[in-house]
Amino acid sequence: MPVDSRRLQGPESAFSYTLLEKKDANAEESILSADLQKMLIDSNHVRKDKRKPTDARPLFLRTGIISQAKGSAYIEQGNTKLVCGVYGPREVQKKSDFRLNGQLFCEFKFAPFSCQKRRSHQQDNEELVLSGLLREALEAAVCLHHFPKAQVEVNIMVIENDGSPLAAALTCASLALASASIPMYDLVIGAAVRQLPKLLLLDPTKDEEWQPKLNHDENNSNLTVGFMPSMQQICAYVHEGVSNPEELEQMLKIVTEYCLKVQPVVQLCLKETVEKMLASEGENNDAE
Amino acid sequence: MVDIRLASEVPLFDIVADSTEPKHLVTPGSLITKETGFMRGHGTYMQDDCLYASVAGVVERVNQLISVRPLKSRYHGEIGDVVIGRITEVSQKRWKLDTNARLDSVLLLQSVNLPGGELRRRSAEDELSMRQYLKEGDLVSAEVQNIFNDGALSLHTRSMKYGKLSQGCLVKVSPSLIRRQKTHFHNLPCGASIIMGNNGFVWICPTLHEDVAGGFVQNLETVPHADRQAISRLRNCVTALAQCKMMLYDTSIMHAYDASINAGFEIKDLLLPDKITEIALMVRKQFEMEKE
Amino acid sequence: MSIAPQLLRGPSLMAEILLSEAEKAFIHHGDDLRCDGRTRLDYRPIILETGLVSNASGSSRLRLANSDVLVGVKVELASPLSEKPLEGRLEFFVDCSANATPEFEGRGGEDLANEICRFLQMSYMSGDTINLSELSVLAGQQCWVLYVDILILECGGNLYDTVSLAVKSALYTTQIPSIKVATMDGDQPELELSEDPYDTKRLNTQNVPCLVTLMKIGNHYLVDPTPEEECCSSSGVVVAVSGSKKITAVRKIGSGSLHPESLVSMLKTASEVGAVVNKILMKKLLEEETAGKTQKVGFMR
Repeated sequence: MPVDSRRLQGPESAFSYTLLEKKDANAEESILSADLQKMLIDSNHVRKDKRKPTDARPLFLRTGIISQAKGSAYIEQGNTKLVCGVYGPREVQKKSDFRLNGQLFCEFKFAPFSCQKRRSHQQDNEELVLSGLLREALEAAVCLHHFPKAQVEVNIMVIENDGSPLAAALTCASLALASASIPMYDLVIGAAVRQLPKLLLLDPTKDEEWQPKLNHDENNSNLTVGFMPSMQQICAYVHEGVSNPEELEQMLKIVTEYCLKVQPVVQLCLKETVEKMLASEGENNDAE
Repeated sequence: MVDIRLASEVPLFDIVADSTEPKHLVTPGSLITKETGFMRGHGTYMQDDCLYASVAGVVERVNQLISVRPLKSRYHGEIGDVVIGRITEVSQKRWKLDTNARLDSVLLLQSVNLPGGELRRRSAEDELSMRQYLKEGDLVSAEVQNIFNDGALSLHTRSMKYGKLSQGCLVKVSPSLIRRQKTHFHNLPCGASIIMGNNGFVWICPTLHEDVAGGFVQNLETVPHADRQAISRLRNCVTALAQCKMMLYDTSIMHAYDASINAGFEIKDLLLPDKITEIALMVRKQFEMEKE
Repeated sequence: MSIAPQLLRGPSLMAEILLSEAEKAFIHHGDDLRCDGRTRLDYRPIILETGLVSNASGSSRLRLANSDVLVGVKVELASPLSEKPLEGRLEFFVDCSANATPEFEGRGGEDLANEICRFLQMSYMSGDTINLSELSVLAGQQCWVLYVDILILECGGNLYDTVSLAVKSALYTTQIPSIKVATMDGDQPELELSEDPYDTKRLNTQNVPCLVTLMKIGNHYLVDPTPEEECCSSSGVVVAVSGSKKITAVRKIGSGSLHPESLVSMLKTASEVGAVVNKILMKKLLEEETAGKTQKVGFMR
């Protein structure tokens, strides 16, 4: 994305005023996991937003939010909000990229105001990697051989980031692809989980997400998974932080169970989309 | 499981290279001869009636023709050579192949045997179904039929021994390491076959049977474990010899194979630098013994 | 166990090569015996040398079969990031030059470089791997920045593992000069560099992670895939395993998918393999260090 030259770019040394906030004395240095756990959850195992550890945030899904796109979807997972637009299939533009199979192009972008810290207009390294992860996950789900020599573009724009953006993006993208009638083997459902030493928090918010700046004394990590529920296949798997394989197994179980619960919701949303479409077609036919 | 060694512990491979009588070595721009009456061959150029080298390598003289054989080269085809190539493109009436030559080689539809006998006419349907016979990525053994003006090779597979290759393992070595022989197809006594392409592509596969070769069918059944072992060992022997710049032909490969078994090396041991030199030295000793 | 829909195209982040169906079948059927005689959990031989680059604070060159990686670490002073005032930092940069393979020409290698870079960053971020507060010089004002530049000289498959081993070796040898904060003269604290060039400290690299790539082929998975094997596989995982056998980062690679069960067993295997690799690498590095000044081999072979 080209830089907008009309807009004044803040000096590079600018930083968010929130960093000047007074923090606990030990917040800057290493935090003991027990303290961290106390910060995130109270003694009754209730999170700050009144959820139980294994509860996910309320989910809202909608298709057809961008009228001109072939398919589009909007997802709201608590305060994490993002839009996905799908364009294509159309002929591959660059001839050097010729392939007999169809190709996916994914762009993952955070809106400049979506995070606590301002994001640049240009795709930064993190966004590039997220785009790649999204592409690899969707490639496993989309029947690419159905549209040879053509490309499909999937654009994700995060409007508000309150944790687990990749998980939300995976669900949203597969919903958008489905609403664009791109053939797929299965829906992709994204989910994330936060590991605290003795506790797992499903669908973490920004505050609950694992952050590298804290030196943890015990195992702590974040896991995002893209799961295809009907095929029982994992098409995205990103883990950051320290864990043992056994803990990862536990985390994976929780996440896939959650995905199985989300699947009917996405299906319902798609069903409504199709019904709406059929209804409007019916009206048109009646008009004739 | 893992073998990490320090660079200082790793032997040099070159010590094994055959050092026969000194050869006339030249570098680009060095004078080969001032005498006139010689013919200018590959790797040389003429200036002021003197002959200069244009590549680094060994001067070779055949009667009045002087040429320089470069130390490293892509494959220069000669008519009648056995080569192994990989299909890179299917175009009209022809396949294009990568044969380690400067230009892609060509296999014309008319120079392959299609199912149904040698005298079958090529119809328009054959042209359309070329990809069913050979598609991108497939390997074929073939013979150089002709060399075009631009140096590209035209191949043919009109013999039962040539054709599409099935399961096995391809090793790429420098073309100059392949010794020219009467036959480049060998059924080795260790239970595997080897095709030594003149272009430096060596194909190792389960023993070939005359009656099945030459077709367009690939056998995708599982290869027995014993055969795989033989193939893997041969593969490692070929790469070991190639790394030590030893000539490759059936006898040298079998010597390496036997030596590795006699020394009690496991197959994966042959990837280790010290074992590679050891094998090469053993092969050389064997040859010296045979000479006496 | 169902197999994911097989896609014709191999993982996008590796150099693409052509293979025939039969060659792929041959690799698929290998029953714990790979084409080069290795078992599924064997690495190809690795050759290592450190301290090659005189201008770098730490350097290493590592060869794994045909993959060749040169890493140089430069130590510089900078002001710490505003959100982490008490820590220094590591900056990775991967250069996939066109020398490695012609496909990297132009911007060809950029995506791969980016992915490796980002994954290294991810795997080094957790507190278990490297203590970044050791790199702080003056809280909130000055810290050490370790620029880890990774040059890929040749690409012969399995870049993740090769790069991580080379980076670990380079960090092991990195010398950080001693610096003293002199007494506050007025408001400005003064930094004083030790006069003795040998007065340096080293990082504790015991727990620095090694990356282990596992590629899934058929119903099995293998470590250290050759380019041919990468071509046969549609998915795999890269796992960062720290010296204490813990997993510090994971990501799935390739355009295929994996069954949860096989994924879990891959993670377990990776952590076992990673621990062994780490141990052997540390042993070798110590060996080289105690051997003292031997003739450097460098590129003269």
